[in-house]
Amino acid sequence: MALLEVRDLAVKFATRGKTVHAVNGISFDLEAGQTLGIVGESGCGKSVSSLAMLGILPRPAGRVTGGSVRFDGTDLLGLSDAKLRDIRGNDLAMVFQDPMTSLNPVLTVGRQLTESLRSHLGMSKREARDEAVSLLDRVGINDARSRLRSYPHQFSGGMRQRVMIAMAISCRPKVLIADEPTTALDVTIQAQILDLLRGLVAAEGMALILITHDLGVVAGVCERTNVMYAGRFVETAPTGKLFADPKHPYTVGLLKSVPRLDARRKQRLSPIAGAPRDLTSAPTGCAFAPRCTYATPESWDQLPLLREIAPDHHVACWNPVPEADLVTAGLRPAARGEPA
Amino acid sequence: MSVAQAEAKELEVEQPSGLWSDAWRRLRRNPAAWAGAGLLAVFIVVAIAAPLIAPYGPQERVGDLASVPPGPSREYLFGLDEQGRDLLSRIIYGARLSLIVGVVSVGIGLSLGLVLGALAGYLGGRVDSIIMRLMDIMLSIPGFLLAIGLVTLLGRGLFQIMFAIGITTVPVFARLLRGSILAQREADYVLAARSVGTPGHRLLLVHILPNALAPVIVQATLAMATAIIDVAGLSFVGLGPNDPGLPEWGAILAQNAARLQNAAHMVFFAGFAIVFSVLAFNLLGDALRESIDPKMRT
Amino acid sequence: MLRYVAKRLLLLVPVLIGLSFLVFIFVRSLPGGPAIALLGERATEESVQAIERQLGLDQPLPVQYLRYARNLAGGNLGSSVLTRQPVSTELRQKFPATMELAIAAMLFAIGAGVPLGFVAAKRYQGVLDNASLVASLIGISFPVFFLALIMKYVFAVRLGWLPSIGRLDVTRSLAHPTGFYLLDAVLARDWDAFVDVLAHLLMPAIALGTIPLAIIARITRAATLDVLSEDYVRTARAKGLSGGVVNRRHVLRNALLPVVTVIGLQTGLLLTGAVLTETVFAWPGVGTWMLNAIRNRDYAVLQGGIVFFAFIVVLVNLVVDLSYALLNPRIRYR
Repeated sequence: MALLEVRDLAVKFATRGKTVHAVNGISFDLEAGQTLGIVGESGCGKSVSSLAMLGILPRPAGRVTGGSVRFDGTDLLGLSDAKLRDIRGNDLAMVFQDPMTSLNPVLTVGRQLTESLRSHLGMSKREARDEAVSLLDRVGINDARSRLRSYPHQFSGGMRQRVMIAMAISCRPKVLIADEPTTALDVTIQAQILDLLRGLVAAEGMALILITHDLGVVAGVCERTNVMYAGRFVETAPTGKLFADPKHPYTVGLLKSVPRLDARRKQRLSPIAGAPRDLTSAPTGCAFAPRCTYATPESWDQLPLLREIAPDHHVACWNPVPEADLVTAGLRPAARGEPA
Repeated sequence: MSVAQAEAKELEVEQPSGLWSDAWRRLRRNPAAWAGAGLLAVFIVVAIAAPLIAPYGPQERVGDLASVPPGPSREYLFGLDEQGRDLLSRIIYGARLSLIVGVVSVGIGLSLGLVLGALAGYLGGRVDSIIMRLMDIMLSIPGFLLAIGLVTLLGRGLFQIMFAIGITTVPVFARLLRGSILAQREADYVLAARSVGTPGHRLLLVHILPNALAPVIVQATLAMATAIIDVAGLSFVGLGPNDPGLPEWGAILAQNAARLQNAAHMVFFAGFAIVFSVLAFNLLGDALRESIDPKMRT
Repeated sequence: MLRYVAKRLLLLVPVLIGLSFLVFIFVRSLPGGPAIALLGERATEESVQAIERQLGLDQPLPVQYLRYARNLAGGNLGSSVLTRQPVSTELRQKFPATMELAIAAMLFAIGAGVPLGFVAAKRYQGVLDNASLVASLIGISFPVFFLALIMKYVFAVRLGWLPSIGRLDVTRSLAHPTGFYLLDAVLARDWDAFVDVLAHLLMPAIALGTIPLAIIARITRAATLDVLSEDYVRTARAKGLSGGVVNRRHVLRNALLPVVTVIGLQTGLLLTGAVLTETVFAWPGVGTWMLNAIRNRDYAVLQGGIVFFAFIVVLVNLVVDLSYALLNPRIRYR
């Protein structure tokens, strides 16, 4: 049995009489210590699924409409609010996207760091403070003891994200969910934060779910990667395999829009045409069909489900991208040495 | 509904539209706006058509002098006052007075405030700081007390009273206009107009003022409500219009406040006339504010 | 923080100078001028000239202003025509009554308004939310004196539950060293008197507090709605803190910041409201004193009262600004 088992999780949002099908049945397993990337455009439902797992969807608009989330054998969705609170922030913790707005501006960093220590682990004020100091040390903040008395606005963006991470790992969670942890940061800081996350996960033996729109972020950190589109996984594979042998046209599109150092100079970045689909109605066919050059009538009529097309490699697509096209797309530098 | 219809509806909703049409659409959907507009319409119609609606004249004696004036009856819906005048008629004529006071005093405050605000915002520098310090000082005196002081100074004529109340609203309008001018002076479209050589006064009149208008309208509506309350308050402290025969709601209320036991009906009818007219402006002003700036949910 | 306090205090100087100048002009322009204002309208020609010499009114205006400003700074507000007592002495006697009423009203307004606004925001667009919005709009549409009269009619005249005038039953005596009767009753350990004072205070305080209540509830609601959608509230929930802790420590603490500002802005409204409320309940405070002054054309008293109220407004706003800075680290550490 895996540490975290998500089965057919579905989430709907009701806003102004419209229903948005944000997540339409996603399933995955996460073993202890494993790192999983979930990649997709904004609005594809990746953040919403993590909020749903923790039971903190914005109420009353957001609602889990199906599926189960088993953590250590217990279904989180069936738990009472109080029981779920014991797990949330304790065994299952989360780092959010924007460190500028995710910290409370009127409380000291020390207060915000110690509050989960005190409520989950029952530490005394003093113990919690000492623990907070060592946490800040661990995430690379110098002069930790005096920094406890500082307020969030006195930290830079990168430092705040370090504080967020310290808060999330304070109770030594078994699973850490990081939702776009680097998106709001400068590029140089991004790399530092990713290094920090990678180091912590290895040192503490935490499992990590890294949610991002950026395949580049996943590449160095995650063992497995699930690509999400319109509330569904469309391709799942070990990260290396996904990069080497992408099958779904959407994954290929994402890869093509990542700048590559080894690409030929004339190779242009190609953004994916069109906009993500409107999720207000349940789709009949493949949600990607309107933007897909490989779409056939079948794509429009029938929803493709995930199927295994190579060992440990699943794709939800009627017309996976053929090898030859990967070469012309520049994702396979097959013909090296050619004059540029 | 067919797919085409659904899509057509979608298009209609997402059609790009200007600030004013957006605001208008939100306003139409707001029940508070309808309630306010309805009340206000009643108030205005009553004020204008008072001679047609009122059963008697405001000074007309229909009953006897009485120390305990008769309360509501079938004949006199709101009862009579101690001089035997029909209270309903007096309240109806009182609407005229309240409406005039509201419009004139806010008109005075608005025009003075806008001129000062425009000067401060547009000229900036020393003029700006002198004007704004003056506004700060005025704001430090509670509005109603300022009105009391001014009426003491100027006398209790109707115009003086309206002027005094108008003055108390000047700082708010001045600040408002100055604020939006400062915010817009650097806006792209103003810079664009300036770069093609539009002269300053034209810039102010054609480009800046119309865009500052929305919050000013909201504030003016709410200021009407305050003006009506303030004139009643002045009457209540004995600084109302010096003609005791005027059917001013606050005066009717004040004259009978000390005799609640015997004249409660007069206090209540006059009081609720004030409440409803003030409520009309408050409802409408609130709805207007919400429609112009949906994020302001206060 | 010290720099902030200094800056804030410095900003007061031009306001106070300007205020004194305005009041100076006001007194100078009163019908008949300051001599009449001091002596009353039936003053004889000689006494007017005598007082004008005594007040230095024969000197140039700037000199007169300086003299006036010096008096004002020393707390000298002139003398009442009616009682011949210094205005400042009378003010000192009257103001505890007004203060007690205003504080009680504000406590009522905050104590009821903040929870109401908070709960309304938590049930956004629910029945309670909409009801409280409508109720608060109606609330701010009531002239305070009318509200006071209704309450007086219902609870004192009709039902006879509460006393309708004064601060204390006339048959009762209470030493009042502080002038705050509740405090005086506690100091005297006279619990019957305490209850009596409370009964007298109840209606005026509620009448005076209702409009501020409505405004505070609306602001609290709006501020809470804003804070509830903030990322840091989501963070707090993700930590697994209990609902109560999230609400108190994370939501309310931030939502109260704008409320503090609004409480400061209410001071002016509260003081003018006090003038009107005091009249209705014959409350022997600054308001009744000023209204008597208006009736008796005791301009020195009127002028003194306005200066005093303006001073209180300036002072309260200073305190509010400073406490806002204290509550908001983003300002404290700027």
